Amino acid sequence: MKRLPRLLALVGDAFGGRGGIAQYNRDFLGALAKSGAVSSITVVPRIARGFFLLPEKIEQTPAHAARSVYALAALRTAFSRPFDLVFCGHVFMAPLAALIARLKGAKLIVQTHGIEAWPRPSRAQLMAVEAADLVLCVSRYTRSAVLNWAAIVPERVLVLSNTVRDIFTPGDGSALRAELGLQGKRVLLTVARLDSQDRYKGHDRVIAVLPQLVAQGHDVAYVVVGDGYDRARLEAAALRAVGAERVRFLGEVELQSLIKFYRMADLFVMPSTGEGFGIAFLEAMACGTRALGLNVAGAKDALADEQLGRAAPETELAATIARVLVEPKGDPGTLAAAVRARFGPETFATGVCNALNRLMETA
Amino acid sequence: MTSEDGRFVVVFNGEIYNYPQLRAELETDGARFRTTSDTEALLHLYAHYGAEMVHRLRGMFAFAIWDQTRRGLFLARDPYGIKPLYTANDGWTFRFASQVKALLAGGNISRDPEPAGIVGFHLFGSVPEPFTLYRDIRALPAGHTQWVDNAGPREPKPFANLAEVLAKSAANPTPAAELPERVRAGVLDSVSAHLLSDVEVGIFLSAGVDSGAMLGVMRDAGQREIRAITLAFDEFKGTPEDEAPEAARVSAIYGARHIVRRLNAQEFFGDLPTILEAMDQPSIDGVNTWFIAKAAKEAGLKVALSGLGGDELFGGYASFRDLPHWRRWFGPFAAVPGLGFLFRKFIRAVAPNLAVARPKAVGLLELSGSWAGTYLLRRGLFLPHELPMFVDPEIAREGLRRLKPLNRLAATLMPDPRTDGGRVCVLESANYMRNQLLRDADWAGMAHSIEIRVPLVDFTLLATLAPAIALLKEGAGKAALAHAPTTPLPAAALIRAKTGFSVPTGAWMSMAAAKLWGATASLPQYKGLVSRRWSSVVINHIGLTDDPAKVHAA
Repeated sequence: MKRLPRLLALVGDAFGGRGGIAQYNRDFLGALAKSGAVSSITVVPRIARGFFLLPEKIEQTPAHAARSVYALAALRTAFSRPFDLVFCGHVFMAPLAALIARLKGAKLIVQTHGIEAWPRPSRAQLMAVEAADLVLCVSRYTRSAVLNWAAIVPERVLVLSNTVRDIFTPGDGSALRAELGLQGKRVLLTVARLDSQDRYKGHDRVIAVLPQLVAQGHDVAYVVVGDGYDRARLEAAALRAVGAERVRFLGEVELQSLIKFYRMADLFVMPSTGEGFGIAFLEAMACGTRALGLNVAGAKDALADEQLGRAAPETELAATIARVLVEPKGDPGTLAAAVRARFGPETFATGVCNALNRLMETA
Repeated sequence: MTSEDGRFVVVFNGEIYNYPQLRAELETDGARFRTTSDTEALLHLYAHYGAEMVHRLRGMFAFAIWDQTRRGLFLARDPYGIKPLYTANDGWTFRFASQVKALLAGGNISRDPEPAGIVGFHLFGSVPEPFTLYRDIRALPAGHTQWVDNAGPREPKPFANLAEVLAKSAANPTPAAELPERVRAGVLDSVSAHLLSDVEVGIFLSAGVDSGAMLGVMRDAGQREIRAITLAFDEFKGTPEDEAPEAARVSAIYGARHIVRRLNAQEFFGDLPTILEAMDQPSIDGVNTWFIAKAAKEAGLKVALSGLGGDELFGGYASFRDLPHWRRWFGPFAAVPGLGFLFRKFIRAVAPNLAVARPKAVGLLELSGSWAGTYLLRRGLFLPHELPMFVDPEIAREGLRRLKPLNRLAATLMPDPRTDGGRVCVLESANYMRNQLLRDADWAGMAHSIEIRVPLVDFTLLATLAPAIALLKEGAGKAALAHAPTTPLPAAALIRAKTGFSVPTGAWMSMAAAKLWGATASLPQYKGLVSRRWSSVVINHIGLTDDPAKVHAA
């Protein structure tokens, strides 16, 4: 029998990391470890905080945030044992990953997510990506952007959509709604970071249409989960638009609360123009709540070309929200099941296995 | 068509010429045929041999077979690339069609431009595969198969390679004395195979050797009723350039019914919008094929043989002489680093008029260092250093980076065919003929519902003739072809210089270019410049962007 490949993963963060990319890395590496298609995974992170559990077959080296120290640590790890595959979690690290893959005679997988992979990268990054045996993209949009700047065989560039964890399930959100004093209101929810560089997420767009919705007789409230330097400005704008009675900014919340927020909402809305994929759409829909985004970039994938959620043109945001609010809500369980079938852990694991098998096919 | 057990479903564009033999073999092995169609043979072959089936096919084909059990799609395209096959993959959905236009019409495909396709068109006058003008649409390369399943499309795999056939044969060349017999037998075999049809098979007859010899061989193959169609121009009536009288003589020798279709400027300009509309990917040629196919349709034909491929196979182009000479004379200079570049700058400075009138002379020392470079020089519409004058500089730079024209040309010569004749044969067949002549024959024929068959573009024939091609002396190939019919072609056919299609269509194209895009109306002395102007008409018509000037500043 052929020996199973050993994988070296160079990532910004994965286990002990926060945010969407860390989550994706955990999902990807976890699915790979579980699949039995690799014999071991060694993760070299730049950031790892707090306590975390590592799945079987996965080890993680200590984190080094400084670039040069990180590069040395990665090289040291690479030469301390044999590797057949190098997984590069971010385009910025692609030159280092390509160098290691070359020196080790290993195959190179480069992962791309969103805006980091859309513009043409530096020459070194470009050459590294073009040398990859496989480039994984979280959405069709990101794939298209990569193929725009990379002269690479298109068959080597695959879409492996984000996934949503099993803990996101439908349930009763009325307690939280009461706690927030929003009984009887139609609750619009956005979950996203609130930094000024994250304005593409579209809170401003939602706030802009709130008065119009109220004027049309929709008894709406806007709940925002997430924190950042732009929060005060957004909160002030929302209060100006529709008053304190209809606005709740909650900051960051724990995972268990987050699930309750998703369940409580009538509509998850994130009219973002810059999503690589938009995992929050999946989380909301997995909790049985309808989701609405713009028909721009990766959001179209998360909303499954409108098979799962709504993808509106920017100019029709208000009208689409209004329409969804008057439509019957539908069964949360049905929506959650459809999301799981399309993007659940099993589907994701199949995608991971397929990608790896393809790589080994050409060995 | 679906297999009897429902497992396989096929869509097929083309013609399998060895269908009767295949059917007999498959039936011996127990296959049960429900129809008399060659399409069904593909289903049985795939069920029996899997992907290896492609080695058993003789013909022009592009097909896809869905395997319900394996939940996957198998695609294949013939060794020469006679039939087109385009694919589009957005990462979620895989689409395929015989035309780029069909894919675009189906919707949901990005129209983002492919700089390599745009640059390729300007370098060669047609879009070199696998590129198209659109980033998300690619050609499945000739002689390749592809597998697609839920893990996505795999990289196309080659199954036939022209260079390899010639490289293998170079070791055992045929003695010159055996050449005529080998050509006679090979061409007779191919023409006979290409006559397999339910309907009448006609022929496009020019005054050249290729179509004339084919007509003679058709007769030898036992074809009784033959209609031969010749395109002639009013402007040439009574001049030596008129092909009609010579074609009429050849037609009479072989007892064919000769139809002369006359074309004038009025009709040319009348059809021009339809021609540009019918073109799938831009091409600077194909106009004459359009009109001869139109004539065939008027005559009520559905199938016609064409002599296409004769120049590639029998050393008919000047490139068979020029390329080895240029390599010999200028190659050593090209080997000196920087000399070619300095030469180009020098000519531009001291003789700017020469640089404009003879743009290629300027590139001679830069490109003649390799076979690929010399070929580009010979066939190129524009040379790489000229691109920024015609194309947005950013598109030119990125297009060259993605296309890698010299690497791509050199790749068609892998493995090395080992003789000059073999190399030129492969370069012409795998580039000019594949990307331009065969594409043109396809869209121009299909637009008139005419199936154009090309017996001289046949992988079996190539294998038969390869040992002879290696050592062909100038003119010997065409002489042998002229003697392929039992009654040989008259000697006059051999002496006659190739009229080609440059005039008067060349003059008309130039006028059209002037009218449509305001280029200077005077007819340039240098023939290549007509094509250059014409290229701007074509690419601007395709309307890649809303702003034509962005793609091509005419």
